[in-house]
Amino acid sequence: MTINWSEYRTDAFFDELITPKGRARTGAGNLCRVLSQLSDEEIAERKTAAELAIRSMGITFTVYTGEGSGSIDREWPFDIIPRLIMKREWDQVAAGLKQRVDALNRFIDDIYHNQKILDDGILPREYIEKSKEFRPECVGIDPPHGVWSHVCGTDLVRDADGRFYVLEDNLRVPSGVSYMLENREVMKRVFPELFEEYVIYPVDDYPDQLAECLRSLSDMKSPQIAVLTPGIYNSAYFEHAYLANAMSAQLVQGSDLVVGRDDRVYMRTIDGLIQVDVIYRRIDDLFMDPEVFNPESQLGVPGLMRAWRAGNVALANAPGCGVADDKVIYTYVPDIIRYYLDEEPLLPNVPSYRCVDKEQRDYVLDNLDKLVVKPANESGGYGMLIGPKATRDERDKFSRQILANPRNYMAQPMLLLSTAPTLVNHHAEPRHLDLRPFILSGRKTYVTTGGLTRVAMRKGSTVVNSSQGGGSKDTWVVDLE
Amino acid sequence: MNAHTLSSTAERSYWLGRYIERAETTARLVSVHANLLFDMPRRMPLGWRPLVAITGSTELYDELFDDTTEKNVCRFLINDQRNPASLIQSLSWARENARTLRGIIPRPAFEFVNEAYLFAKDQLTEPLSRTRRVSGLTTITEYAQQVDGYMSANMLHDAHWNFLRIGQFLERADMTTRMIDVGTGTFWDSAAELEPFADIQWRSVLRALYALQSYNTTVAEPVTQGPVMDFLMNDPRLPRSLAYGLNSIRNNLRALPRHDKPMRAVNRIRRELSATDVRGMTAAGVSEYLDQCQVRLNQVHDEIHKTYFDFRPRRKRAGHTSVLKHTRKS
Repeated sequence: MTINWSEYRTDAFFDELITPKGRARTGAGNLCRVLSQLSDEEIAERKTAAELAIRSMGITFTVYTGEGSGSIDREWPFDIIPRLIMKREWDQVAAGLKQRVDALNRFIDDIYHNQKILDDGILPREYIEKSKEFRPECVGIDPPHGVWSHVCGTDLVRDADGRFYVLEDNLRVPSGVSYMLENREVMKRVFPELFEEYVIYPVDDYPDQLAECLRSLSDMKSPQIAVLTPGIYNSAYFEHAYLANAMSAQLVQGSDLVVGRDDRVYMRTIDGLIQVDVIYRRIDDLFMDPEVFNPESQLGVPGLMRAWRAGNVALANAPGCGVADDKVIYTYVPDIIRYYLDEEPLLPNVPSYRCVDKEQRDYVLDNLDKLVVKPANESGGYGMLIGPKATRDERDKFSRQILANPRNYMAQPMLLLSTAPTLVNHHAEPRHLDLRPFILSGRKTYVTTGGLTRVAMRKGSTVVNSSQGGGSKDTWVVDLE
Repeated sequence: MNAHTLSSTAERSYWLGRYIERAETTARLVSVHANLLFDMPRRMPLGWRPLVAITGSTELYDELFDDTTEKNVCRFLINDQRNPASLIQSLSWARENARTLRGIIPRPAFEFVNEAYLFAKDQLTEPLSRTRRVSGLTTITEYAQQVDGYMSANMLHDAHWNFLRIGQFLERADMTTRMIDVGTGTFWDSAAELEPFADIQWRSVLRALYALQSYNTTVAEPVTQGPVMDFLMNDPRLPRSLAYGLNSIRNNLRALPRHDKPMRAVNRIRRELSATDVRGMTAAGVSEYLDQCQVRLNQVHDEIHKTYFDFRPRRKRAGHTSVLKHTRKS
């Protein structure tokens, strides 16, 4: 049995490739035709080829297997059917992302300076003061170009209406971009003939763009750039090593760096101490500098904040940028865009309810079985309540948590996440997915062409996180001639 | 490309080299010693004590065990995790170092190290029969040779490689001096009684260093202390001789920056070696000289450690100032 599109059921969801009538969407025709011409054996061969490529390229992610046993490397789960986005649509999304990140960076800069947005009453002052991610240590600092979040990963989803919505902004240390790059490499090996059928926009300039962005944070002609990783046991270590390598930057851990009495950052090398000008840090704020934050941190560098405040090193992303990466602040992003840019948002938010507001909270508590409740400062899909799938006990527990700390929660209606055909036992079945483009901000702003498409491999599931059984697809932004 | 080699990865490469070498030498040592004992008269009380002495862990051993039996000593040297110099611990450290060098050493090299460790952990367990011990130790030496060969043939010969080799040859040079020390008989309680068996002992030392065959084909003298020592200390063609080890360390150091102090420490041993007439020495004199060699090798380690791995920031680096733009936007 080959892939038969007339048997493919999209149900109530928007499918990325197939219309409700079982026809290929604009642009997807060639892809669907090629897929349906493959025999079971050929499909199995392509799938095996992809798995082999992933193994030989060493594309892994690390999963914690519990105490004692530590962690293991798993090969990256990958689906060989790509996801298509038309260039024209993508250009609009990209413009929306630039607008959004621009406004968010202005917001963060304002929060650590005059707090005009709070004076003007756009956003209640107490939200900032009670935010776990607000860092008083950052007040008054002027990072280069006024940019705080240099690398942002914004999660987009498509609802049943086919529109893209912003689900969340990951402004702190978003990961996944290396998988976006590797997915493309794997696809080139597995389906070379498709690359002749389409004008597919390349994604592989990302490391250069990232290096350029990081360089723009220093006045040096060729600044020394380091990627700061928590080490090999971190789930994103593969990516840290990958990016350092692709940028010809130095991959370092906290113990490789030292801050001198001159408030400059040096790395210990066999040539002696070498000054570091820009650090792309992939560890959280609170572990970055035991002198200022968590004194127990073994991952950080004592004195790093001193060096940053003195302007002797640039940190990307800047400490404290997480203040805008808060799911309650998220609900204000459309207002933030209007306030700083005097423009209407190009990309809509998912409608959201703030639990801190009494009226909205009551609605949330009355409708827990229909809503998704998210804590303000968690990532990776942890600490969420998916109302329709939760037990009564779980919902009751969340009610109590919301009442005890309303500032910490927001809720959204269950979205009908879009699907795309995904290979399941030689057949194409719809699976839910999202999209994480990456936005770089330095002297210039850059948006990846497409991004990382994450797909929930289990039927009906909307959990796309790789730590929880998610996989990924290559994302093609294509032009029709 | 990356212009700099981090001290931390350089240090881990160095220790990876040392631990792999140590694991192999330990396996070799136990195998060969067991062989030697078969050739000795049964009334000889010498037994297994020298193996504990050679690894410099007499004190720890006496704390852990009441008597010196084959079983206890083998356990101590092979799979006792309480002994930091045991085979299993060496492999465990080698594995930790290899693991954190992902992206620097070839992936299969890590896999060989990992397999060697898992093999030792699962197969070289108590109670360890002689047969299992013999074949198990052989397997370990084979793994070590595989790791060595794989890295040598496939790894980028960069600074990490230099450190790996320096670690390997420093460990090897140190072990060679210790093995020679066993040959001199100073570890035995009744050296005089052993006189008639001296050639057997020296043969055994040569065998432990994979050098018996080379000795037979290149040295036209019987297996006695003078020529054997000369061969093991001075022959630049023998990969496990002290001279060869020092040359290798020198060559690898030469490729590294700021090597003055470690190089001076190596050259000092070379000078002393060439000024020493090993053939004309008494057993006691040899032993003293070997002790001094070990101290000197340790000094090389210290200089490498101070120069490359563990140093503190001092003053501003001249000629490099970074001024970031911190002007407020208006």
